[in-house]
Amino acid sequence: MSNNTISPETLKAEYVSPEKCVFSINPNGFLAAEIDGKTYKRVILTRALPLSAPDEYICVSDIEKNEVGVIEKIAAFSPEQQKLINSELSQRYYCPVIEKIESIKEKMGNFYFDVVIGGIKKSFAVKDITKSIRQHGDAIDVTDIDGNRYRITDFDAIEAKSRRKLEPYLY
Amino acid sequence: MGKREKKNKPPFGEKNKHKFSEKLLRELENAGLSTERLIFCCSGDMDNDACYRNAWLSFDEKGLYIAYGTEEMTKIKGKKHVEPKFTVDEIISIPLGDIDSLETERYVSTGRLVAVKDGEQSSLVRFSIGKIGQFDNLTKAFNSFKEKGEAEIPTSAEPEEKKCKKCGKPCPPGKDFCRKCGKNSAVAVRLFKFFGGYVPQIVAIIAIMLLGSAVSVFVPQVSTRALFDDVLANPDGMPAAELLKALGVLVISIFAIKLLNVLLTVIQQYLTGGIMPKVIYDIKVRIFNAMQRLSVGFYSSKQTGSLMERVVRDSNNIYWFFVDGVPSIIIDTATIIGVLTLMFIMSWKLSLIVILAMPVIITFLVIGDKFFRRLHHRNWLFSARVSSMVSDNINGQRVIKAFAKEDDEYDRFSETSSDLMASEIKLTVSEATLYPILEVVIVLLSTVVLGVGSVFVAKGEMTVGTLLTYIVYLEMLRGPFDFLSWVSNWWSRCADSAQRVFEICDAEPDIVEKEDAVSFENLHGSIEINELEFEYEAARPVIRKLSLNVEAGDMLGIVGKTGAGKTTIANLIARLYDAKEGSVKIDGIDVRDLKLTELRRNIGLVSQDIYLFSGTIADNIRYAKPEATMSEIIAAAKAASAHNFIMKLPDAYETRVGAGGQKLSGGERQRISIARTIIQNPKILILDEATAAMDTETERNIQNSLTKLKAGRTTIAIAHRLSTLRDSDYLAVIDGGKIIEYGTYSELLKQKGEFYKQYKIQAEALKTIGIGESEAETEEE
Repeated sequence: MSNNTISPETLKAEYVSPEKCVFSINPNGFLAAEIDGKTYKRVILTRALPLSAPDEYICVSDIEKNEVGVIEKIAAFSPEQQKLINSELSQRYYCPVIEKIESIKEKMGNFYFDVVIGGIKKSFAVKDITKSIRQHGDAIDVTDIDGNRYRITDFDAIEAKSRRKLEPYLY
Repeated sequence: MGKREKKNKPPFGEKNKHKFSEKLLRELENAGLSTERLIFCCSGDMDNDACYRNAWLSFDEKGLYIAYGTEEMTKIKGKKHVEPKFTVDEIISIPLGDIDSLETERYVSTGRLVAVKDGEQSSLVRFSIGKIGQFDNLTKAFNSFKEKGEAEIPTSAEPEEKKCKKCGKPCPPGKDFCRKCGKNSAVAVRLFKFFGGYVPQIVAIIAIMLLGSAVSVFVPQVSTRALFDDVLANPDGMPAAELLKALGVLVISIFAIKLLNVLLTVIQQYLTGGIMPKVIYDIKVRIFNAMQRLSVGFYSSKQTGSLMERVVRDSNNIYWFFVDGVPSIIIDTATIIGVLTLMFIMSWKLSLIVILAMPVIITFLVIGDKFFRRLHHRNWLFSARVSSMVSDNINGQRVIKAFAKEDDEYDRFSETSSDLMASEIKLTVSEATLYPILEVVIVLLSTVVLGVGSVFVAKGEMTVGTLLTYIVYLEMLRGPFDFLSWVSNWWSRCADSAQRVFEICDAEPDIVEKEDAVSFENLHGSIEINELEFEYEAARPVIRKLSLNVEAGDMLGIVGKTGAGKTTIANLIARLYDAKEGSVKIDGIDVRDLKLTELRRNIGLVSQDIYLFSGTIADNIRYAKPEATMSEIIAAAKAASAHNFIMKLPDAYETRVGAGGQKLSGGERQRISIARTIIQNPKILILDEATAAMDTETERNIQNSLTKLKAGRTTIAIAHRLSTLRDSDYLAVIDGGKIIEYGTYSELLKQKGEFYKQYKIQAEALKTIGIGESEAETEEE
């Protein structure tokens, strides 16, 4: 490591360590925490790298959105605590999962998707298809004309017919 | 759930726009909900576990109701359109007393409606993020009802999502059909309306085209059939001299027909060329005019590149379709009809073979076109990626060199370029493979026709000339069929461009001048802001219930952190945006009641983002007052401390600035923009971080210019550097869209609050570099 590199130790002070932090669920079902001896009735978790490293660098904020600290790795917490953290994150980052693509039709520059999500047929329109589709790892996110986001969690795992319909737009 | 109280009058009128449709209200009634006194309604699409489910939310004086069920679009017998059919499965009622207020929470792709009671939050329902505007309206209406006993209904409230009458899918606000079912022909009709003033020319063009097609179709009759059958075969046994004479006449006839064809094409192109630039001029002017009417909000939501593309590329797309595409459609269609008719007349038996082979060729052309469109699209994407990388590289050269990243950039470019290369190879190889296959099919057809035709010739059913003419006609069909197989895509691109053009022409500006807008009689310049609320994006408020007053001629300094809402206040005073709630009044008149030109003429805005138009320095200074004399321009430049540096430039006031012009420093550009404001002579001056990006000396020069400019005007100065606000009569400290401190400079220092904190930080910073040490200490005392 060269001399001018910032040492990760410099950032350590900002981290929320499992020893100093206990998460719990408040009576209304939201995530609460006790961090460094201070009780927070509700905390908000946000991912710094939601696409490439969803289990690392999680910012913990209070209800006023003031940052309390950063979880470096969720894996450092006990399995029960991990469950609570992941449950909160899955609510915040919930994205309807596309199970099947029935059709993608173009008309006047817009693309019309007919898909199946949770066993229910859903239709949405996408305006600028190249900018509205984002690939990250095996997953693909599609953002519709109203800003709603849909996800294909593993593109290789969906049926070939669906894959063929989306493939021309994945470059 | 209470029973229906039919005798009671609804609290906000019988026909509320923010209520559900009659059909849905009936279903809710059937499910046990009393709907007569509902105050506000809103529809959702998920339950509390983020599962898709129709949800209908509403409230009245007794409680908040969440109904779950299904909405199916079904075709009604005897009707062309589909209609919704509602089923209500479950209604959850929450007494009004159990909720103090509602809140919306924005997540990544969903949102949540939260009820607050005694500071405790509980989740009510989730929804897709696209619906956050509707839920935000619900929270506003509910919270105002809880607070004041009267619901403030946002004007944009839409209780139910409108469904397409044709397919039942969601459709854009104010439309009866979804984007997919919207009529394509409507675009064509609107496009053809641009040609309304040129009907005689268009009739002439079409007539010439048809005549041209007829001539083209007639050519083989002379150049092939007559040549072989009437001359070369010499059926009448003419002597050599006669034969040569007949041949000469034939050659001259062929030349004359070809010449006529060329002449007709020239006339047609001449006429088209006379109309199309005018039509495109009309379209461009229409777009540009529409863009001038639109508000700043429209430009913030669209990328400049995309708008420029609309003006330039889209109108060019339309131009080329009408110049090249439409004539080809007319000519090729007429050619196909004429050629097929003649082919049938010449030999219906051979024509049957052609008709049988035609579907194979057309299918091949259509499928091939689809396949190649995908490859071309992919190629275009890679090509765009390479262009964007080159552009990034050129613009970021200083950073690349500073970080010594030349080699990494080369590798990145090489990788992207190799993707483009692979895509181009695939395209070329595919073209080289598929087109020869088509060629073989066509050659096979020609061979079969030639073979069968030769048998007919041998049997005496057909002459050699007729057979050869037939083959020529067969060949003539290829081009038009090929063209017509892909022209629909061309039309799609043209219609797509036209749709984008009309989208701008039809866009309603957010800022509209009232019909009975008033003018200032004698403007003094007092500003009164009452309970101002504003958000650029639903559920993300930037200004919250902000109120303040500035007396005429006073100076108000606004300070606050980045993103606190300072610039938004300036934008709302100048009515670049309209407040969501509350008002901005100038001399007691709401800015929304004022004539826009009158308002803007009296407000001078000097901002951190300086824009100089392409032109001379003098042109830029006189922008607000084109009739300004040179003496006025020099006086304004002197007042803005710009005269000295302008005179040092070789072309002085005639120096060209803007794109491709003289490079000026930030301070120089800012001084020109101040001179531009001085010449405007506004009664109200807004200085939005005018010196934020300047060095100390330039800032001091500009401050001197601004001090001169402030005299006799109401001034609102927004700044990070507190020292620049020392002359303010009052200061407002803004945080999170609210005023957190208000008073004079010394009052705020004494308060020892946020202003004092910022002051100390800045004073410490100045002390560190040895500036203003004694000044800072004196001020604090």
